[in-house]
Amino acid sequence: MHHDKKFAIVNPSKMCQPMGALQALLGIKNTMPLIHGSQGCSTYMRFQLIRHFREPIEVASTSMNEKTVIYGGEFNLMKALKNITEKQSPDMIVVTSSCLTETIGDDMAGIIEKFKDANLDKELPVIIPVSTPSYVESHVEGYNRTIKALVEHLATPSVPNGKINIINGNLSPADCKQVKDLLCQLNCDSIILTDTSQNLDAPLTEETLSLYDEGTSIKEIEDTANSLGTISLSKHVDSAALFLEKKFGVKSISGHLPLGFENTDQFVTSVCELGDLEIPKSVERDRGRLLDAMVDAHSYNFHRKVAIFGDPDFVSGMTRFTAELGMTPSVVCTGTGSKRFKEDINIISKEKGINPMILAGGDLFDMHHAIKEAGADILIGNAYGASMAKEENIPLLRVGFPIFDRLGAQRISMLGYRGGIEFVDKITNTLLDFYYDEAGYEIVDEKIEEIIGEEGDEGFEEDFMAQEEI
Amino acid sequence: MEPVIETFESRKKHMCVKGEGLSIPVCDKASLPGTVTQRTCVFGGARIVLMPITDSIHLVHGPIGCAACTWDIRGSKSSREDLYKKGCSTNLQEKDIVFGGEKKLFEAVLELHRIYKPGAIFVYATCVSGVIGDDIKAVSKKAEKITGCRVIPVQSEGFQDHNKTKGHWIGGDALLDYVIGTKEPEETTPFDINIVGEFNVAGDLWGIKPLIEEMGINIISTISGDSHVDEIAQAHRAKLNIVQCQKSSNYVAEKMEKKYGIPFIKVNFFGLEQTTNSLREIADFFGDEEIIDRTEKIIERELKGVEDETREYRKRLEGKTVSLYVGGNKAWSLVRAFEEVGMDVIMSGTKNGIKEDYERIKETVRDGTIIVDDANSTELARLLKKYRPNLLISGAKEKYTSLKLGVPFCDFNHDRISAFAGFRGFVSFAKEVDASVSSPVFNLASKTLSKSSKTPSNSGGDANAS
Repeated sequence: MHHDKKFAIVNPSKMCQPMGALQALLGIKNTMPLIHGSQGCSTYMRFQLIRHFREPIEVASTSMNEKTVIYGGEFNLMKALKNITEKQSPDMIVVTSSCLTETIGDDMAGIIEKFKDANLDKELPVIIPVSTPSYVESHVEGYNRTIKALVEHLATPSVPNGKINIINGNLSPADCKQVKDLLCQLNCDSIILTDTSQNLDAPLTEETLSLYDEGTSIKEIEDTANSLGTISLSKHVDSAALFLEKKFGVKSISGHLPLGFENTDQFVTSVCELGDLEIPKSVERDRGRLLDAMVDAHSYNFHRKVAIFGDPDFVSGMTRFTAELGMTPSVVCTGTGSKRFKEDINIISKEKGINPMILAGGDLFDMHHAIKEAGADILIGNAYGASMAKEENIPLLRVGFPIFDRLGAQRISMLGYRGGIEFVDKITNTLLDFYYDEAGYEIVDEKIEEIIGEEGDEGFEEDFMAQEEI
Repeated sequence: MEPVIETFESRKKHMCVKGEGLSIPVCDKASLPGTVTQRTCVFGGARIVLMPITDSIHLVHGPIGCAACTWDIRGSKSSREDLYKKGCSTNLQEKDIVFGGEKKLFEAVLELHRIYKPGAIFVYATCVSGVIGDDIKAVSKKAEKITGCRVIPVQSEGFQDHNKTKGHWIGGDALLDYVIGTKEPEETTPFDINIVGEFNVAGDLWGIKPLIEEMGINIISTISGDSHVDEIAQAHRAKLNIVQCQKSSNYVAEKMEKKYGIPFIKVNFFGLEQTTNSLREIADFFGDEEIIDRTEKIIERELKGVEDETREYRKRLEGKTVSLYVGGNKAWSLVRAFEEVGMDVIMSGTKNGIKEDYERIKETVRDGTIIVDDANSTELARLLKKYRPNLLISGAKEKYTSLKLGVPFCDFNHDRISAFAGFRGFVSFAKEVDASVSSPVFNLASKTLSKSSKTPSNSGGDANAS
């Protein structure tokens, strides 16, 4: 069987730009996302988001059909803006394009202006278009462009606010909360772009069915021009930060995701430098507790091979973290063909003396073959890794998006010192569950045991050979 | 007439109450732009009817999102291959949009054939491949010639219609034009049938197939649950088609009747009475005394015990109310099954119903039942709040709208966890429904800690929660 593959994607490990746009917009207060495209775009993306977060999620569609494709989407977009304005009265509507409306060349900004002109007498929400063509890069870029569009349209200089802007990237609500809590510990006032911590992990109340009460507000986004600086937790979503730096002189710091010991140190240092802050005792203490957890776990983790897939900054952060734990990252894969990703991994590899197979722009088919080649004791990634892990008989530690086959995806956290502690315990316990018996002894490879037990049995040896070939 | 709930003027006639004048809602209209539609696209419609063909590669010719959000979501089980679960895409890039994606598609087909040697490769058109004018038919033909593998174009550009039913038909057309009638069975019997519109979600087919086979009927193919493409290729030799999902698959059955003279009957394996009737109808169609005899024995045997096994559930479910908001078929096919567990259907609706679907619903439900077409998420929430059923039956997108309102929910769509078809399926059905309706967690929802705290306005669970 030939495993080289150049043209088809088999089992994708990326999504398209509008999905990233939605991930960003779900952290904004009283805002309606609108996808200008076919119904399937909003419906299938909602499907993915809903089954991951286990929360109702509202995304409107301009419901394009054959006629409107031929004559252009102006009528549907105008109608959609009118209907949302009248029935939902949000503070803001963010319109994202799709492959369809990009290809037929709809001028969203022009149509929005036309809508505003036609409704001069009415109080309208803020309306912002974002170009998110599905055939360019991936959902990560969709997130990036959305935050940039928001800042471009809204950021307004006034008086310095002493705050730090944080661009999250696609984090779990729990990780968003970890970041906020850490900033709070550091006495750092911040503006989070965007804050999903409450919207996507909501209590059982009826209010969750309407537009979000919580999340980043328009006022906060306006105020980003007056901050001390911007830290982009993900290098791939720093366009807004660079814009703020260029236009308003707000200093930009890109990456890394505060994942693991060294990356969190770097984040804390960046925050303290930008804000001229002292590191409080409680943070030192959490840092010490993470180190303690890592030391407690070291013997179980040492030289365990780990394969990691997901968004680029998550994978590079996790590569560093697992290497810090003494593990050996053997395959690292991200769906986007990012140069920055490769550079990051190369730096980590050199520093840590590891040599993982790097798949930038890879899919899970490639990943699976790389695992067969390089080996792995544990797989870290989203739910789509389940069949691969089963086939290789290794555990899957579910992190990332989407996770639809386990509960609590919204509550998975690993960022900062505290999140790091949770993660160390979790990965080590996963290894203990899988590779150690109930008395705590490491389970010896069954194959070896069988060989010893059935020495001289020729029939068995053949079976064993056959198994190996598979 | 008073509208059922407050909504857009143009949407009011999409909801009605059976028995009060208008008993069929306005339907099959484009959704209002700007609403949170629960509908999907034509591509989605075609993909779900074909995806259960297990030995085939389903290649989506479009940007990554179309495949990335829809692979392996069917909930359709396989007893053999799992090729159908792979998420394959041509991952169209900007340069493909400018220069055309045909070459890439061609190479991708060859590549997938080389790697997997599948029974067939289905090539799905998407919005963008349609707009840029890629000729997937020509590419498929050329690739088929080179590979010798069936390469089947599916003209499923997403934007073609507001109703994904059109996608079901397009999926059906792909089978009618390229598969059915292309292979002769090695042997035929006088009792050959196809099961059409059964997708083996959660293993439903396996609750029906052994019964039919025991009757002495030979199943040539299932279209399309747990099937191989070569089996469907022989479907034209059947003496009868039985249609389970009439929403998606009457089309295929009608076309096969016209083209090959195969009559069809509509069956329903949800619920005891419906299953019994369906088996009898199949037996009666053939009129063979032995088959009729065997069928009666099977029914007698299977019904024994079901009463006992479901008594506990029925006791708790008696008098509880249920609302259905589904793709189509289940809006009528589940009604009797719910009556058999003692529940009362107070609302039935579909996302993509056409007039004949609403005729079926109207025939099936009792007077006073609310019939709803294409309710968007706000409307669905309002309906649930107004009528507060004890259970909502719907799909993954509606699940948390229902739960947040404290209305218990059961997924009858792709994410169903156990098979509900046939006699044994009915027991699982009663068990699942009971697990949702009778769970004590919903009673807690109405308890407040402090007077000011906000909770759902009341519980959809037990009436004693106040």
